[in-house]
Amino acid sequence: MDDLALERYFDDSIANDSSYMVEEELDLQSSLKQSHASHTNSRNSSNLLGETETSGRLGNDLDLSFLPDDLSNQSSSSTVPATAATHQNPELDVLEDSGINLDNSLHGMAAVKRQVAVDLGSKSNASPFCPMTPMTPMTPMTPVTEKSGIIPQLQNIVSTVNLGCPLDLKFIALQARNAEYNPKRFAAVIMRIREPRTTALIFSSGKMVCTGAKCEEQSRLAARKYARVVQKLGFPARFLDFKIQNMVASCDVCFPIRLEGLVLTHQQFSSYEPELFPGLIYRMVKPRIVLLIFVSGKVVLTGAKERAEIYEAFENIYPILKGFRKQ
Amino acid sequence: MFAAGLKCPGCGSSNIVDDDLYCQAQLVCVDCGSVVSEGTLADDPVGGTDVSYSRTTAVTKKPCLNLIKGLERVKEMCRILRLNSEIEDLALTYFRQAYQQESFINVTLQKKEVLAGCCVYVSCRQRDWPITLGTISSLLDADPTLVGGVYQEMIKILNIQAPFVSIADVIEAHVQEYKISAQHVAKELAEDSKVLTKRAVALVELAGDSWIVTGRRPLPIMMAATYLAWQSLNPNKHRLKLSLDKFCHLAKVQKRKPAVMRITELKEVLCKLGRELPWVRETVTQDYVVRLVGDILEHRHTLLTRALRTHETAMQADCPQASALNSPTEEVAPSQCSESRDQTADASSALQLCPTDRTENQEEEDSHQTEDPEPNWGKRVLFAPPCVVHAKRRRAEPPPVQNVTGDEEISDSEIDSYIRTPQEARAFALMQKAVSSSGSGNS
Repeated sequence: MDDLALERYFDDSIANDSSYMVEEELDLQSSLKQSHASHTNSRNSSNLLGETETSGRLGNDLDLSFLPDDLSNQSSSSTVPATAATHQNPELDVLEDSGINLDNSLHGMAAVKRQVAVDLGSKSNASPFCPMTPMTPMTPMTPVTEKSGIIPQLQNIVSTVNLGCPLDLKFIALQARNAEYNPKRFAAVIMRIREPRTTALIFSSGKMVCTGAKCEEQSRLAARKYARVVQKLGFPARFLDFKIQNMVASCDVCFPIRLEGLVLTHQQFSSYEPELFPGLIYRMVKPRIVLLIFVSGKVVLTGAKERAEIYEAFENIYPILKGFRKQ
Repeated sequence: MFAAGLKCPGCGSSNIVDDDLYCQAQLVCVDCGSVVSEGTLADDPVGGTDVSYSRTTAVTKKPCLNLIKGLERVKEMCRILRLNSEIEDLALTYFRQAYQQESFINVTLQKKEVLAGCCVYVSCRQRDWPITLGTISSLLDADPTLVGGVYQEMIKILNIQAPFVSIADVIEAHVQEYKISAQHVAKELAEDSKVLTKRAVALVELAGDSWIVTGRRPLPIMMAATYLAWQSLNPNKHRLKLSLDKFCHLAKVQKRKPAVMRITELKEVLCKLGRELPWVRETVTQDYVVRLVGDILEHRHTLLTRALRTHETAMQADCPQASALNSPTEEVAPSQCSESRDQTADASSALQLCPTDRTENQEEEDSHQTEDPEPNWGKRVLFAPPCVVHAKRRRAEPPPVQNVTGDEEISDSEIDSYIRTPQEARAFALMQKAVSSSGSGNS
C-alpha cells in the first residue's frame, strides 16, 4: 500500500504540471481507472507521460491531432464499466492529505489527471525516485508529439547598468585606448573590450548599455569590466541595477516553411510582406516574444528578458511550423 | 455677478451687476437701475477678438487644406487604377482616420502623399483587388522603402489587417503591362495577352511549389515567368535569341535585375521535370527546356511525382548501407506518391513528404559517416529554397565559453591594457588639436 501511494504521489506531481486536458481523456481514463485497481500491467509508461506533457501544450494552440491514436488504443484494450467515478474521491482525499496543491479551476480535471498518473504508475516497470521537476521525464520515452529537440542558441544579450556618478566623456575618450567619442553624432562614448567580446555605450549621466555578449553571465562580467575601467580612470563608479533588457537567439528547424500558409492561418499574429522583408514576423502573445521566421527554416527569437521565455516561445512555435511541413 | 469697486453715479451704491440679457454687456446698478457702463462695438479690441481663430468653432467647420488635397489625391489614384467605388470609399475613410493621428499630422507633404497611396493599397488588399506595393510606389514616384515604412506605421496605428496577396493573382494585372500584342510588335514576336497570362500563371504556380517564390519580391519572378511564357509559346529562333534586356525593351517595361536569376532558377526546376518526360531523347539543358515548357506545365503533377521517385532511387544508389533503414519508408513513400498523383490538388505535399522522409534517413546515415559537420539538407532534397541550397559559408564560430559565472576576478593588468599611458594621452591630445586645426584651416 505504501509503495503504491508513494508512486501515486510522484506521478501526481508530473501530472499536475499539465494545464489543460481534453474531455475525451476524462471519459477514457475513467474507464481505465478500474483496470489499474485490478491489475498492474507493465506497459510503456512513456505514452501517457507524453500525453500529460503534450496536454500541457494544448493550452497554447489546442492542437488535438495527436490525441485519437493512442487513446483509442488504450480504451479498446480495457473493458470497464463507468463506475470508476466513485473511485475518484477516495483517491482525491489521499492525495490532498499528502499536501499537494490543486488549482481550483482544474479541480475536476486534476482528478482525471491523477487517474492518468495512476495508470502511469501501474504501467511502468520500475518507478525510480525522481525529483518533482516538471521538465524531467521519468523514463526515456517515445513521445506522442515530439519535443523539438532543437535548442535555440543565444546570439546577443543587451543589458544596462548604472555606474552611479556623472562622467566626463571627453576625459574618458582621451584616457582610454578602446573608446571612441563623437559628440556631433552620438552623445555617448563607445567602448569595447576583447574578452568577452562586447561593446558598451557610456553616457555622461553614468548609465551604461552593454551589448554583444552571448550569455547572461558574460554580459555581467563584461559590464563589470567596463565599470572597472571607468573606476581606474578616476571616477567613483559603482555597479547598480544591472538588468538584462533583451535577449536574441536563433535556431534552425531544418525544413522549408510555407510562409504564405502560415500568414493565412495565423493572421492575427503574423505579418509577412515579401516586398518589404523576406521573413515572416510572428508576434507571440505568451510569452511576449517576436519571432522572425524564414523560408529556409531558420528562426530568430527576440524580445526576451529571460532565457526560459525563448525556450518556451520556440516550443510553442515548433508544432505550428511542423504542421506546415506535413501539408 | 458683482462688479467690484464700482459705484453707481446715480445712487452711490456699489451693488453693480453685469447684465448679459441684451447683446451688449451692461453694468447696471441694482438699487436704482441706472446703467453704469456699457460695452460698445467700438470697444472691441483692435486686431480681432481675444479668442484666436484656431480656438473658435470656425476651425472644425472647415477641414485642413492638406486633408482636402490628400483626399483628392486618393480619388485620383483610384481613378488611375480603375478601382471601384467601394475601394475608393474605404480608402477615403482610412485616409481621414490616419490623417488625424499625431504621427501623420505634422509630417512632410511627401509623406502625406505616400500615406494616401498606402490607404489605397490597404483598401485594395482588403477588398481582394490584387496589387503590389511596387505599383503604388511607382504611382507615387516615391522610394519603395519609404512607402513600406509608412505602410507599416499606418497599419499599426489604425490597427487593421490586410490579407495576403498571392502572386498568382497579381500576375494577371502584371502581364497586361507588357506591350507585346500583334499591334505593337512584329508577328513572330507578338503574343496574345490572354494566352500569355495563362501560361505565366502556370509557371508562377510551379515556381511557388518549388520554393522559388516564398520570401522573394514578386515582381522579378513575374517578369521571369512572363519572359519564359512568351519564349515557350512559340520557341522560334527569333524569340530564343532575345535576351531579357531586349525583351523588356520591346515590351516597354523596366527590367529588374533579379529577374535574370529567377529565370535561371525557374529553368532549373523545369529541367528537373523535363528530364522525366518519356518522349524526350536529347539531354534537357537550360536552352533546350524552353521548347518543352508547354508539355511540362500540362503534365506537371505527374512529372513531379516521377521526379521525386527518380530522386529517391538516385539517393538510394548513393548509400547502399542505409537501404535496410530505407525499406520501411520506401514502402510508405511510393504509396503516398501514388496517392498524390490522383489528387490534382496539392502535389507540393508529395514534394515535402517524400524528401523529408529521405532527409531523416540521410541524417542517420550521415552520423555514421561523419563526412560533414553540418549536413546541408537542401542539397539532398529535390526542391528546396535556393537560399538553403546555396547556403552562405559562415566562418567557424568560436566555441562558447563554458562556465562563466559573471563574478570572476578581473585582473588589473587586463584593465590597465585598456588605459592609455600618460605619454600616449599627451600625444593623442596633441594630434587631435593638430587635426582639428588643419581641418578648420582647410574648410
